[in-house]
Amino acid sequence: MSELHAPSLATLRTAADDPVSYAQNWKDTHRRPVIGSFPMNFPSEIVHAAGALPVIVQESKTPITEGRSMLAEFYCGYTRSVADQAALGELDVFDGFVAADHCVQLLGAVDAIRYVRPEKPVHFAQFTSAMDDAWTKPRVDSRIGDLKTEIETVVGTAVTAEDLARSIGLFNANRRLLRRFYDLRRSGLIRITAGEMQLLVKSSMVMDIEEHTSVLETLLDRLVLRDQAPDDLVRLHLSGHFCHAPKPEILDVIEESGGLVVDDDLYTGYRYISTDVPESDDPLKALSTWYMQRNINAPCPTRVTSKVDWDTYLLNSLAESRSVGVVVLMAKFCEPHMLYYPELRKALEEHDVPSLLIETEHEGIPVETLRTKMETFIERIRRHSAPVPA
Amino acid sequence: MSIATPRDKTNRLSSTRVGGKMTADYWDNIFTAKERGKHVVWYNGSALNPIFQAAGLEWCHGEAFAARLAAQHLEEPAQAAGSEYGYIGELCSYARTHLGCAVLTQKNVNERESGVVGMLDQQELAAKLPAPDFFVNGYAGCSTGQQWDAMTYRVFDRKLPIFNVSIPMLWGNKPDAGYMRGEEWNEASTYVEGQLRELVKFLEQQTGRPFDWDALSESMSYIKKASRLRLDAMELCTLAPTPATYWDWVASIAPINFLPGNQALVDYFAGVKAEIQQRIVDGVSAVANERYRVYFDGIMNWNKLGFLTRKFAEYDVAVVAGRYTHESFWQEPQLIDVDNPLRGMGQHYLLCPLNHGLKNLQELLLKRLDQYSIDGIAFHSTRTCRAMTNPQSMLAKAAERERGVKSFVFEGDVADASFYNDELFDSRLEAMLEAIDVQRMKTMV
Ligand code: SF4
Ligand code: SF4
Repeated sequence: MSELHAPSLATLRTAADDPVSYAQNWKDTHRRPVIGSFPMNFPSEIVHAAGALPVIVQESKTPITEGRSMLAEFYCGYTRSVADQAALGELDVFDGFVAADHCVQLLGAVDAIRYVRPEKPVHFAQFTSAMDDAWTKPRVDSRIGDLKTEIETVVGTAVTAEDLARSIGLFNANRRLLRRFYDLRRSGLIRITAGEMQLLVKSSMVMDIEEHTSVLETLLDRLVLRDQAPDDLVRLHLSGHFCHAPKPEILDVIEESGGLVVDDDLYTGYRYISTDVPESDDPLKALSTWYMQRNINAPCPTRVTSKVDWDTYLLNSLAESRSVGVVVLMAKFCEPHMLYYPELRKALEEHDVPSLLIETEHEGIPVETLRTKMETFIERIRRHSAPVPA
Repeated sequence: MSIATPRDKTNRLSSTRVGGKMTADYWDNIFTAKERGKHVVWYNGSALNPIFQAAGLEWCHGEAFAARLAAQHLEEPAQAAGSEYGYIGELCSYARTHLGCAVLTQKNVNERESGVVGMLDQQELAAKLPAPDFFVNGYAGCSTGQQWDAMTYRVFDRKLPIFNVSIPMLWGNKPDAGYMRGEEWNEASTYVEGQLRELVKFLEQQTGRPFDWDALSESMSYIKKASRLRLDAMELCTLAPTPATYWDWVASIAPINFLPGNQALVDYFAGVKAEIQQRIVDGVSAVANERYRVYFDGIMNWNKLGFLTRKFAEYDVAVVAGRYTHESFWQEPQLIDVDNPLRGMGQHYLLCPLNHGLKNLQELLLKRLDQYSIDGIAFHSTRTCRAMTNPQSMLAKAAERERGVKSFVFEGDVADASFYNDELFDSRLEAMLEAIDVQRMKTMV
């Protein structure tokens, strides 16, 4: 039984499970355009400031049909699903698409959208991914400038600095609230399951931000905190899974096996809300500062830098959340993750932190096999070290 | 009862053997770099080697080394080392092989103090990659290429300097965008040129020497000449039957991609061109009984090079051109201003055939289909190279729609033999050839 306010959760679930219908309703009500964007570094604030609804396109639950003839089977589930949804016309609610990330598979999927929907504007504002160079920030500034112009053209509204500053404020407030849930979960004074946490974040990617914030506020108001955190559960950190949300049934199995997820660095999780946009700067420049800062707060393996490391970040997070094990969720065929994974494994082994790798697929994975693996993993941790009392 | 070996219907150029020898000598030279007290740079992606040459460095190209191992069927020890380190088999097999080499190299550096990577206990690898002094990455179009070096940096304990050239994709946002034209092209050219200037400064710091701009101009003058000869020679293959095939151009990739810019390079391509000209005079064709002219799309399947060469020929197919060979490697020499070469170099890096949106690729493909009178396209669905595979199904549809050109898809990989499936290859190639025959019959009626 969830400890979160059920009607509020239900509102978030409706939007997160079917963002396209949510977008269609929003469009019908507001008579304003809807813009689709893609993970993992898109500044939705610009779309919002233009008066449109920014929606981060999600993986669909349905099996891939038409999209099969667009992208090969060895693409990550997210990109195949995006191509499939586009080919089936399921993304037609969007008035335009914008991307800022350069993962080669994602670009394949976005090019597939251009191919099947040639009439839709599809803009790519490539954010330089090498983060250490003096020319990175100015270049990203200029890409953000182009992005703003493109969005203004598609939406038909000019964005002023005040509009943008206001949108930034709204998104920051939303992120702050979401981080509050993370703090509470880490404290153990409220049980927020991994599936629920995913719902909170995923819905923020697709809903009108003010509406989302008001639901979060209701949720917070209705929270009943425990006196003490339970001490019989194994505290776990969920790591990885870029671009799209892992299936809730996987998250459920992880927790049904005796694990308590207290933290994560998933994209549909802490990675998404790790960083606020500075509110003092020129708002356009602040968005590129956000982009740079985000990679420092939660280093992303799709970016390159020698200043920070995901493995170091992960070890620090484990210490902060007092997690005793890591479940690595890897979307099958995700190359940035496959490339970085050995570094994580090495760091965890060196620090004697037990970890378990789970590869996920769009088509799903056998839950019973996963359950056995998870139970063995939890057992291993229990033998390895007594769970850290909360 | 003995089974007759099918007649080898291929007739490869003999002049490309010279290139093979030059390449082998190049690698032998690399293996002794440390003994000679040279600075070594490991790099990936674009052909930055003329800049390294002018800086007095020895350069090791990651894909080139992985491709070489695969072509010699020696990739396994490196891939096994990579897999033991944790690299999953679905990861780019160039990256996996090279990262495996990095793991072995690093182990060796730690174990011996010589700085030369022996792998002496793994003779079959037949390689002694010198440990790098620093890395340079300049990967166009494929994010994996850039991340691969970010990982090599980590395999070497995050101690060695790394320089990244960020090459933006030619996506085609603006209405005026196209192959080598439009605002996007000019703007991206300037951006990359600026970074190359920064790279030069970085190299000056690393080597402690001022950069030799004259040496760069000189080596680019040879490369420009070599490139022209190569393109002239390719152009001669628009004749049917073709005097040389795609496989000959594959054999010439190493020289044009990473051998030093010097007179030997020019002489090499002059030799290739002369041999092709002579073949035309003598009426010699590259494939006995050429009946079909095919275009190859995909990165080369290095494990299967000779095998596929013979295989296509068995079916009377002349593979005459390809995206990999014809759309890369200094293929627009007019862009190079020998006296001020950085811009033209940066533009070539942008023109990597992995770095275009679908619209440009369609334009390039249709041009080649017309130029070489192509009947069919072989799409190598290169399992672990998404960059090459991205647009393939859409290119196939465009070729059929715009030119009525048939195609087939076969599975394989750049440097991992396990993904190739011979039975599927045969049946799909046969199906395409039948479709071409049917189409021909119809046009004759
Ligand atoms: S980063 Fe990974 S999950 Fe995201 S699009 Fe690329 S391959 Fe797919
Ligand atoms: S996936 Fe292809 S283009 Fe990318 S690094 Fe590997 S071989 Fe190069």
